[in-house]
Amino acid sequence: MDILISDNWLKDFLKTEATTEKLVKSLSLSGPSVEQVEKIKDDHVYHIEVTTNRVDTASVYGIAREAAAILPGYGILAKLAPLKTKSKQSFSPRVKYLDVKIDPKLCQRFTAILIKDVKIKPSPEYIKKRLVAVGERPINNIVDISNYVMHEIGQPVHTFDYDKIQGAKMNLRASKKGEKLTTLDGKTHELPGNDIVIEDGDGKLIDLAGIMGGKNSAVDSKTKNVLLFVQTYNPVNIRKTYMKLAQRTEAAILFEKGLDSELVTLGIKRGIDLFVELTEGKPEKSILDIYPQTYKAKKITIELSFIETRLGIQLTKKVISKYLNLLGFETAWKGNKLEALVPSFRSGDVFLAEDILEEVARLYGYHNLPSEIMTGQIPSLLPNTSFKFEENIKNLLSGWGGIEVYTLSMVSEKDIKPGALKVKNPLGKDTSYMRTSLRPSFIRAAKDNAGEKDPFHIFEIANIYPPRKNMLPDEKMMLAGVFVNTTYRKAKGVIEALLEKLNTKIKFVVEDGEGFSASKRITLKAGSKIIGQLGTLDVGPIYYEFDINNLKEASTETASYVPIPKYPAQIEDLTLIFPPKTKVGDVINSLETVHDNLARAELRDTYKDTFTFRLWYQHPERTLENSEVETIREKVVKEVKEKFGARTKN
Amino acid sequence: MQKDTIKTNKFTSVLLDVKNEALAQIVDASSIKELEELKIAYLGRNGKLTNLIKNIQNLPDNEKRQAGTLINESKNTVLDALSTQKNTYKETARDWFNASIPGEKPSVGHLHLVTQAIREITETFEKIGFVKVRYPEVEWDWYAFEALNIPENHPARDDWETFFIDTPTHPKNGSMVLTPHTSNGQVREMLRVKKPPIRMLNIAKNYRRQSDVSHYPMFHQFEGLVVDEGISITHLKGTLDYFARNFFGEDRVTRLRPHHFQFTEPSFEVDISCGVCKGKGCKLCKEGWLELGGAGMVHPTVLRNGKIDPNKYTGFAFGWGVERTYMMKAGLDIGDIRLLYSTDLKFLKQF
Repeated sequence: MDILISDNWLKDFLKTEATTEKLVKSLSLSGPSVEQVEKIKDDHVYHIEVTTNRVDTASVYGIAREAAAILPGYGILAKLAPLKTKSKQSFSPRVKYLDVKIDPKLCQRFTAILIKDVKIKPSPEYIKKRLVAVGERPINNIVDISNYVMHEIGQPVHTFDYDKIQGAKMNLRASKKGEKLTTLDGKTHELPGNDIVIEDGDGKLIDLAGIMGGKNSAVDSKTKNVLLFVQTYNPVNIRKTYMKLAQRTEAAILFEKGLDSELVTLGIKRGIDLFVELTEGKPEKSILDIYPQTYKAKKITIELSFIETRLGIQLTKKVISKYLNLLGFETAWKGNKLEALVPSFRSGDVFLAEDILEEVARLYGYHNLPSEIMTGQIPSLLPNTSFKFEENIKNLLSGWGGIEVYTLSMVSEKDIKPGALKVKNPLGKDTSYMRTSLRPSFIRAAKDNAGEKDPFHIFEIANIYPPRKNMLPDEKMMLAGVFVNTTYRKAKGVIEALLEKLNTKIKFVVEDGEGFSASKRITLKAGSKIIGQLGTLDVGPIYYEFDINNLKEASTETASYVPIPKYPAQIEDLTLIFPPKTKVGDVINSLETVHDNLARAELRDTYKDTFTFRLWYQHPERTLENSEVETIREKVVKEVKEKFGARTKN
Repeated sequence: MQKDTIKTNKFTSVLLDVKNEALAQIVDASSIKELEELKIAYLGRNGKLTNLIKNIQNLPDNEKRQAGTLINESKNTVLDALSTQKNTYKETARDWFNASIPGEKPSVGHLHLVTQAIREITETFEKIGFVKVRYPEVEWDWYAFEALNIPENHPARDDWETFFIDTPTHPKNGSMVLTPHTSNGQVREMLRVKKPPIRMLNIAKNYRRQSDVSHYPMFHQFEGLVVDEGISITHLKGTLDYFARNFFGEDRVTRLRPHHFQFTEPSFEVDISCGVCKGKGCKLCKEGWLELGGAGMVHPTVLRNGKIDPNKYTGFAFGWGVERTYMMKAGLDIGDIRLLYSTDLKFLKQF
């Protein structure tokens, strides 16, 4: 949370010679981070980021306490001037002026005091100025006191018009779902249930506790008697209520962090002092204080060696104690064992030896610790990963003009197979399911680039999330892509080249498939295992996809070596005319097995049903005679004639 | 007398023959190279015309002058013819070739920025023994939160920050979520390795319920986890400084500031010295420093959840945004981060 602190106000409690610059730097390096310093008239305002565990520093007093502990480490004298209160009121579990019942699970400590005959008027200038500096609008002395105490010590304070509380009775309880309450700002809320509320003697709700008071019990211009009200509430209830009602007040933000119930003592006394000073009101003799479980300081034990091994340096016991004492911890060494008593304002974030270590380390200064890479054994690599394989594919495809994309893993309902994982709280309908195929994302990508006239190829390697019963989905890494404005042969050529460079032995089988145009799709198989598909989609572009793991299994990391033939091949082109609709892929497959000495057959040219093949005749141990080549050629022609009805051109 | 005249006449006719022969060959020459050769053949140190000049001294004195004039004329004629012919070749007769024409590029592909970033980050950490791993993106609440000491009521577990999957709750592992950070790999890695040393590098997709110019619901983080005997804050600093020097530049250093995360204790915010002002302070940075991300010493509860004895082993972890870290390095200012995850070719082709 970000808070504003007035320098002028801070100096009420922080006695130091530190310049603004030094203060900012030391605080940021060893404590809360000062994000910005704003200069206003005769004051500076610090914008400070307080981490959620350190709500004790979310106030002027809290920052003063931190600074007083941190600055000496930077060689700057600093002292905390404790906040002293004048109020002599005593604390009592029962008072005559108010009858209260609480649910101790919702409220750890409940205090209140009646202050009679208040005079409502504007606050003195210094109060107004400080409130403005920290972003509050001064209203009148009563409202200003609440805000002032909250910013000064970090304890929210509330005031009721005492005379509006029917029967001087309060019952603090959990709300029931559907109960209604109108807050000070005039908003009427239908409560979600389990909110902390207070009802008066008439059973009417007068406070949305910890968040905002009820309108029906608010102090107004005619108010004579005020009930000053300081509590500690259960942070979880507060958080749930303000999130559900979207009623995020400063008080709620403090309460949801879990406040120190001991702080209530200071809060109510400081409030009484200000009421006396600013409103001439007359407080009762006793403060109502319902405090079922009083605070008992925790003791944490920590070994000297524990601190040293985790910091990587040696520190004396004296230095360690000094740091902790500055931060309000009481310390005692027993041999090399340190016992530290946690002050109440740190009870919400210090539990373990590690927490004590952190306090010592930050006061020593993280920036003062040495910097060294660990030695020790290097762990062994994860076996069988596909990381390198994937990177290789990305290099190859982008080398041939492919453009890599990253698309969102969530898609709309029409883009998934039944049973796909549904997101319970999606950002929109279009992104409410975990995708089970990359295809819809690529169809969209092609469409989004419809204006592009040149050929393009985009691809991605990403997970799909097929569901499994009672288990996490079977996250599968897939390679997919589309070719747009590209011929089928060119697109297929890129995939063929990829499969060749990955050293795979993959069969292409022409088979129809869902979403693909009839006869325009091939299945890619390694043995009998389907590893991918390629084809022209009904919607236009040429799409392909592979299961990365299957593809990896079908490939070998290094290419195999074939001895270089000693004798040259005889190469010739052979033109054949086929009946219409002959699958030329099958012809080539068949040519490759016609004769041992027909080493290679490639398609060179096509014209309608006429195909020209280039044939390599080769014998591993000698040069083939012309007559031998002729024999093989005759066999080829015979084969294609018998199998495919082809005839030679001449 | 007559003899001399004959001599002179003969000289003149030889000279004319040589000149005409030269001119004829010059006209026939088909290249500049050939012309250069002709120049040597006639006017070189042993050239035909040069040799005639040498012969002048054998002529009678009264004719030497006339012969000298003649030979000079012939020499000039041949030189003229050579240059004229040479220019002709330069301008026209030579094969026209336009070397200034732009090349024909092969179609140029593009790796995505995130891939480039992940590669550089991976390379940097693999050199100091980090092991790259891959863990689920769709994850159990246990690994994403509970095992990381993030209590049930923590804001990170609210359904306005984290995506939940609509499935029945698992009796042991809780709800199914889209992991909002790479830290889900921490306990998984501990359980996989069983016995430290651990030096894990987990780079993965993460998801959070945010979408604006600086957030996309899907993004990437890289997570480092080191667990061994005697691991201290010093080692964390050493590792981060190593990364800063090797990834960002030799003169860059990091610094730690106090922060708070549930799964580390102590926790730090990591800053890197500004590359523009070199730490002096400028418009781009805060007093010479830029925020990199969070880090910390692994919380003993997390170690215990990974079945590792926190009394014997300690560790540190850090987890930062891939996109942000890379943009800081490259000095890229992409106004709307969502562009990274668009399929706009005009954007993708720039990298």
